[in-house]
Amino acid sequence: MFETLKVFLRNKKALIGLIIVLLYVAVAIFGPLLLNLDPMQRVGRPHQPPNPEELLGTTRMGRDVFAQLIYGTRTSLAVGFFAGIIIVLIGTVLGIAAGYFGGWIDEIVTFFTNVVLVIPQLPLLLVIAAFMGQTNPAVIAIIIGMTSWAWGARVTRSQTLTLRNREYILASELIGERPTRMIFVELLPNLLSIIGFNFIGSVTYTIITQATLEFLGLGNPMSVSWGTMLYHAQNASAISVGAWWEVLVPAVAVAGIGVGLSLLNFGVDEISNPRLRTLGTVAAAIKAQKKIDQQRLAEVKP
Amino acid sequence: MNFVIRRIAFYLVAFLVAATVNFALPRLMPGNPIDVMFAQQNSTLTPEARDALIATFGFASGPLHLQFLDYMKSVFTGDLGYSIRFYPQKVNQVLAYALPWTLLLAGTATLLAFCVGSIIGTFAAWRRGGMFDAVVTPVSLALQATPAVVIALTALFIFGVALKWLPTGYAFAPALDPAWSWEFFGSVALHGLMPICSLMVVFVGGYLVTMRNNMIGQLGEDHVTMGLAKGLSDRRVQLNYAARNALLPSVTSLGLTLGAILGGSLVTEVVFNYPGLGQTLYIGIVTRDYPLIQGQLLIMTFATLLANLAVDLLYVFLDPRLRKA
Repeated sequence: MFETLKVFLRNKKALIGLIIVLLYVAVAIFGPLLLNLDPMQRVGRPHQPPNPEELLGTTRMGRDVFAQLIYGTRTSLAVGFFAGIIIVLIGTVLGIAAGYFGGWIDEIVTFFTNVVLVIPQLPLLLVIAAFMGQTNPAVIAIIIGMTSWAWGARVTRSQTLTLRNREYILASELIGERPTRMIFVELLPNLLSIIGFNFIGSVTYTIITQATLEFLGLGNPMSVSWGTMLYHAQNASAISVGAWWEVLVPAVAVAGIGVGLSLLNFGVDEISNPRLRTLGTVAAAIKAQKKIDQQRLAEVKP
Repeated sequence: MNFVIRRIAFYLVAFLVAATVNFALPRLMPGNPIDVMFAQQNSTLTPEARDALIATFGFASGPLHLQFLDYMKSVFTGDLGYSIRFYPQKVNQVLAYALPWTLLLAGTATLLAFCVGSIIGTFAAWRRGGMFDAVVTPVSLALQATPAVVIALTALFIFGVALKWLPTGYAFAPALDPAWSWEFFGSVALHGLMPICSLMVVFVGGYLVTMRNNMIGQLGEDHVTMGLAKGLSDRRVQLNYAARNALLPSVTSLGLTLGAILGGSLVTEVVFNYPGLGQTLYIGIVTRDYPLIQGQLLIMTFATLLANLAVDLLYVFLDPRLRKA
């Protein structure tokens, strides 16, 4: 366990990604407690540029952008993680069932997975959300979770299939282990990296999609999240009147967590697939050796 | 040939599933969407007028299975009913005007993003760990994780509002009439430049990283080592031995990302006020024009499936093994 963590932290991309994500999580958990300010409260005149009083300026409604950012971080991350859990649960259960049991279960699951994969996601989500009316963040998380599991199910299935043909699985089958034990003790631990990969990717996808849905006016305008901040900014024509802070703050927040999560994912990918590593440490070692060689040469020559 | 027929059958079923979802959604929702919709229009309708309107817009009543058959018939004859916002235009007419703009926007951006991403990805993989790779790969990861809204809004602010280099909305100058003239095409190109480029920037990162990672996988293969051992030029090994094989998974991902590209195009159009499907859908959402919203889903699914079929055909061309099967 400790060794894995060491390998993980040695990967520069993964480390930077992890730091960014932890920063966001800290803001989401502790930010609202420390701030003690209602994000919907009118604190000043509309569209004030950033100043010592209002650190990131005010919206057209005179609300504090900084307070909205802090509370929005909480909502957006919560939606991301909640939907991420739903996606991983559905994807893993379907993937393992299809890969392990095979036969008609596999046929049906694979067929539906492929169908869901080719139907365009965002238009489908838009239609569902439009019929729901103005949806709360929790509802958005559920509908994103229910429609976005296909990719994870597909990847989990193919990994389960390759594991299924390994000798140790055959051996435990011959001993006569029950399917539940096979799945939870033999298969699941070996699928953890895929599941983690799926989870991080799903959280990224959900945060981006939620922001998009809310930006298009399908969220609840009374909730505070990065998406509704963008929605209000667009409605107030913040860009054309030059109130760049109202748009740029949520935009940078969404982009930042996206970058952090995808660096984390790429790092995990590099760790589990050694071929992708750029061999930065090896190059550094060769460089250091050359330097030492040159120094020795210089010492020997005179 | 067998492969192509199987794929076509699969896409047909996928389309049926999407159409069924579209049929079921308004009927599963709590409350009556018809009431919501007409409540938006105006509240002073008499019940008789409301019933007449419902009949005009084709909200059938009667047993569910008959409704379903009617619905399927109208879908396959391409009749999507009347739009409420643009009444008396039919949904088809509204969409037919918007579709070419979206195809122009999404098609050009996809083509550019795929070509640029694959070429740069090939070089980044060839010199992996070098300066070029160390800069290009993290940047494209960052771009890949940035939503289309953010990139479009930022581009609009910088180039449209702050610098005033490019127009901030519409597909061509409002004073012009569509015509086969250089002036008109110039205006279309000028207005399309910013939406196309920002959409391209959203998707170039994904193709780049996919291509780079596939390419790195290929470079470890024996046939690449053999090519190098034979003394072939680097360029030849890189392009004919490694890149050609690495391109296959990229093409698959091209097919799967088409849905995402349509989604990105929706958002980009809303930001730039571009008269494509996205802008129309946005108007549909704001005014709760359900027939229009549903028509959008069908036509977008259809476009995605068609494009996936094209990718399958391309695959047959790229992978000789499929031609024999």
